[in-house]
Amino acid sequence: MTYEQDNHSNHISQSFNEELEQIRTELLTMGGIVERQLTDAVAALIDGDTKKAEQARKSDKVINDMELMIDEQCTLIIARRQPAAADLRLIISVSKAVSDLERIGDETSRICRHAVELAEDGRNIRGYQEVRHIGNLVRDMLQNCLTAFARSDADLAYKVAKQDKEVDQEYRSAMRSLMTFMMEDPRHISSVMNVIWVVRSLERIGDHARNMAEHLIYLVSGTDVRHSSLKEIKKTVKEVENRE
Amino acid sequence: MTMEAKTHAIDISAMQRQNQTLRLEDETIALTVRDLELFYGEKRALHGVNMDIPKNRVTAFIGPSGCGKSTLLRCFNRMNDLVDSCSINGQINLYGDNIYERGIDVADLRRRVGMVFQKPNPFPKSIYENVAYGLRIQGITKKRVIDETVEWALKSAALWDEVKDRLHESALGMSGGQQQRLVIARTIAVKPEVLLLDEPASALDPISTLKIEELIHELKKDFTIVIVTHNMQQAARVSDYTAFMYMGDLIEFGVTDTLFTNPEKKQTEDYITGRYG
Repeated sequence: MTYEQDNHSNHISQSFNEELEQIRTELLTMGGIVERQLTDAVAALIDGDTKKAEQARKSDKVINDMELMIDEQCTLIIARRQPAAADLRLIISVSKAVSDLERIGDETSRICRHAVELAEDGRNIRGYQEVRHIGNLVRDMLQNCLTAFARSDADLAYKVAKQDKEVDQEYRSAMRSLMTFMMEDPRHISSVMNVIWVVRSLERIGDHARNMAEHLIYLVSGTDVRHSSLKEIKKTVKEVENRE
Repeated sequence: MTMEAKTHAIDISAMQRQNQTLRLEDETIALTVRDLELFYGEKRALHGVNMDIPKNRVTAFIGPSGCGKSTLLRCFNRMNDLVDSCSINGQINLYGDNIYERGIDVADLRRRVGMVFQKPNPFPKSIYENVAYGLRIQGITKKRVIDETVEWALKSAALWDEVKDRLHESALGMSGGQQQRLVIARTIAVKPEVLLLDEPASALDPISTLKIEELIHELKKDFTIVIVTHNMQQAARVSDYTAFMYMGDLIEFGVTDTLFTNPEKKQTEDYITGRYG
């Protein structure tokens, strides 16, 4: 049975409806905080705004707390309700998505740290263009991911998986040009290294967003698409559409 | 492969075997139900049920009250014959023999297809005599054979250690959970092929329930088990296959793991997740 957006309502137990709705809402709230943090981190880096970077880094604490809170809620629901079918898949996928969001938060904090170092370095740094570009792509992925969770939209989740491929390509080409910068002027090595770490973190964020998209497809379709090719994911998503 | 290569390669085939998914197509079928209709007077309680019950597996019937799951279970050893207004169309085959054929010895059928009910119903006799009863009826008189079978049945029902020192005391002095296991021992003593359990644990406390569930798990090595239960978690825990019934129809029948994580039908999903049907 396909999972639909309001699937978790209509239980005989009203409080069960509320509990399921709550973990989904909390996941989206946490996603919103992570998204804000990522936007701020990239902007802080490009503008050399250390204050903003420090502030964005502070969200990490909130994000960690939310991870614990949502996970605990998931554990309690499993213990109390013994959920089955789509309810069970909702809890499993939310719990996994929360872990990925938390990891995105960690990577973003790392970007903030490098942003501060780069700003303190003060020189005209190369490679910001690449950061901006990949940063936009990755943020778009994260947004799509959260929208997909909000609407239970497997098709949008498939788009996220496709975007991850694009990010990987951009990452490789960014690496090539950053290497060139280092070879051209060894004095820039330390600052370019910082940019490389940032690009690397962004690429990892892309991977986590793809993971989240895969959890959502599992929730909607019941098929575990982790470690599957894009083609296989597409097939699963098409099957969901045909069922509807 | 050299020894060295063997130690370095990680073999996960054992894990995969453990998680192997069941497929009804690969099973030996014990009971086949074809177009089974059952009427209580004018009322049609089963609407053309078709299903195959696999051998040495646990098949659970779930569904709301009055959906026909107990009625279907009772068809397997013709318990419904005892209801006057009951009439049946269709076929049930036990290893190919139509159990509703004329001339079938119903007593023999009930030996081949044993049944345990919701409320433990031991005879007002000793523990030993309860288990030996079926054997005596079969005409077995050798004390050694009866002793051995009683011990085997009580051990299989995970009751031996608790009662071995008081075999000749009354069965009515046992706890509910023990009585139910005694009834199971009595049923398996005559070595049936199929064991029908109609809500076997619903009158028991949680620990006794777990003991019965563990017992079911052990018994499926020797018997084909069909269980009716109101407790969906119990069906999910003990069964290999699950049938969901609703208003006399078999809605969905499949591997338990799939049925409880990703059912095909909306009605099944609504029922197992506790929604309005």
